[in-house]
Order: sequence, then C-alpha cells, then structure tokens
Amino acid sequence: MTARDLRGYHELNDDDAWLVQSALAGDARAFAELVDRHAPVCLRYATRMLGSREDAEEATQDAFLRAHRALDRFDTTMSFRTWVMSILINRCRSMLLHRRRRTARVQLDGAAVDAARAPDRSGGVELRDAIDHALAQLDPAQREAFLLKHVESMSYEEMAVATGAGISALKMRVQRACDRLQLLLREDVNA
Amino acid sequence: MRDHEPDRLPESLALAVDLMRQEEVPSAEWRDELLRRASAEPRLMRRVTLSVPWAIAAGVLCAALGGAAVVGVTRYSAGAASAARVADGVAASTTANGMMLPVTFSVVAPNAASVSIVGDFNRWNPAALPMRRSPDGRTWQVEVRLPLGLYAYAFMIDGRLAPDPAAPHAAADDFGTPNSMLVVRGS
Repeated sequence: MTARDLRGYHELNDDDAWLVQSALAGDARAFAELVDRHAPVCLRYATRMLGSREDAEEATQDAFLRAHRALDRFDTTMSFRTWVMSILINRCRSMLLHRRRRTARVQLDGAAVDAARAPDRSGGVELRDAIDHALAQLDPAQREAFLLKHVESMSYEEMAVATGAGISALKMRVQRACDRLQLLLREDVNA
Repeated sequence: MRDHEPDRLPESLALAVDLMRQEEVPSAEWRDELLRRASAEPRLMRRVTLSVPWAIAAGVLCAALGGAAVVGVTRYSAGAASAARVADGVAASTTANGMMLPVTFSVVAPNAASVSIVGDFNRWNPAALPMRRSPDGRTWQVEVRLPLGLYAYAFMIDGRLAPDPAAPHAAADDFGTPNSMLVVRGS
C-alpha cells in the first residue's frame, strides 16, 4: 500500500496531479505544462480583479512562482486550479492593499474615470469600458466573489476553499455584486 | 425581493459576463520569464527523504557544521523551550520501508491551548500529530517514528507556526516562516 492509497487518493488519471508529481521529480516541462493549462484563466481573473493587465501579469507570475516553491505541499486530492487560484486570490488582495493609492488614482476614482472616458462617435461609451468601470466600482470582496462565480464558473464549495470565506457569505457577495453591476451598467447605458 | 438566485446569472448581465470571459492570453515573453525565474529558484528543502547512505552523509555534514541531529533544549520565546530529540541508544527497527527511528518532539509552552507538530513527514497537516501536554502542564510532547532522512518541520502553537530555535533553520517558506531542519540518522 502506498501513501497515496492511505490518503484515499482515487484520481489516478488526474493529469494535473501527475504533472505536479513529475515537476517534483525535476521535470521542468511538467511545470511548463501546468502554466500553459492554467495561466490564461489566472491571468483573466487577475486582469478583471485588478483592472490592469500589467498588474495582473505580475500577480499571476508571482502566484505561479509561489506555487512552484510549494509544489510538494500541494494536496493532490484537490484541484490544482483551486490551489493556484487560492494563491492568486491572496496575491491580488495584497496588491490591492499595497497599491491602494495608485489603484485609487487609476481605477477606483469614479469621478476621475468618468472624466477621462471619451465618448465614442455615437456619443455613448464602449460596453467593454462600461464593464471595466462597473467592476472597478464594486467592493473588492464582491468583485472577487462575482468573478469566481460567474466568470470562472467555480462552485461555491470551490470558492470557499479558494477564498477562505464561508459559503453563505460568498452567496451574499455574489448577489450584491449582481445587483450593483446591474445598477451601474443601467446607469451607464442611460448616461 | 431579489430577481435572481445567487447561482444564476441575471439575464441582463449575460452579455457583460461574456465579455469578461474573453481569454487573456499570456505572451511568450511572460511565459519564458516565468519559467526562467522558476528554474532559477532554489527549491526549498521540503519532503526530502534520503536513502540511508545519503542520510548518514547529511547527518555527518550537519554535525560538522554545528547543527547536530540531536538538538538540546534552548530558550524559546515567552519562556518556552523546545527540542527535537532522536532517542539515544534506541535500536533501530527495520520495516519494509527501511530503518525507522523514534523521534520525540517537545516544546515548553505553558500558556498554549493546543500544540502540534507539522513537517515534511505529515504533509504539514496541523491535525495529524497533536502534541500531548505533560503532567506538569508546561511541556508538550509527541513521539514520531521516522525513516532516516532530512526533514523540515515547525511547531504549530495555538494556530501559529513557530520554528524550533534549537534546530538549524532552513530558508523561510512562502509565508515568511523559517522552518527547522532535523536529520534522522542511524548512527
């Protein structure tokens, strides 16, 4: 009986778990494969969360490097995506906290953003701009929950593992984020 | 009343979410930089299980550097003391996995409500090896049987990681906590 048997590991065909084991054994290509599989999703989440592709690239790279350092602590009975996302979520939270001044100046100052947004030829604004603007207006915890639920399609159980928050709190955040987003986007269309 | 359930996306947000789901493709430069940085980083000394000759060699090296496998009781923060001790004179038993030795971890933490040991040998699971409070109420102990090898470990005192100051420390882990190192050797 192996340690994996003892731990009730049944997902022997889980490619990510095998890639982790290969990476731990020193196969650099296995870690590269993990990056190729999961980086696009991580980068998307971080871009929407931080409102900046540049910051998102830094956060995502940092998250993967931390994952690489801690690979042997990865619990192969859980999803690699959930694990690396949990690291990324913490990196995004830290970046929002430590770069609050810059973030506030660039993204969260609604009046400044409004003033800077140029109308398109039809006199309205691009939907994509409106969405970015609306996301930036959300409370970070609500934005985080909304993105994980409706953009990354995580279950509430998976979100709870990744964020450390309770399921009922997460549901409340998602619901409030939906309400607020609807309001913000409606206002934007009517503006 | 809410016009949607938390599991269901309101229809009015469907188009917006479609746009949010547009993929963000990492650039080749970004990927190369990440892989270069990952390969350049020294791996932390985690879950290192050495074959018997290498374990003995590592033990000899540690001892030569002043970090003996058997570490003594030293002062610990808040008046606590700690030790990770391979029992002297204990005959090693042989199992299918090789030589196993009993190692007693102890820490003096009179004000703690719970103490456990976490390390490479239990996948850093705080629930796996709870330490027992001694009759004097000051010392917490647990005995673990370990194969020969080199291990990183730390105490978990009331939910907080604390290194063993009596043992050599490895580099800090991802969360900034230095780990202690223990060599279990057969001689």
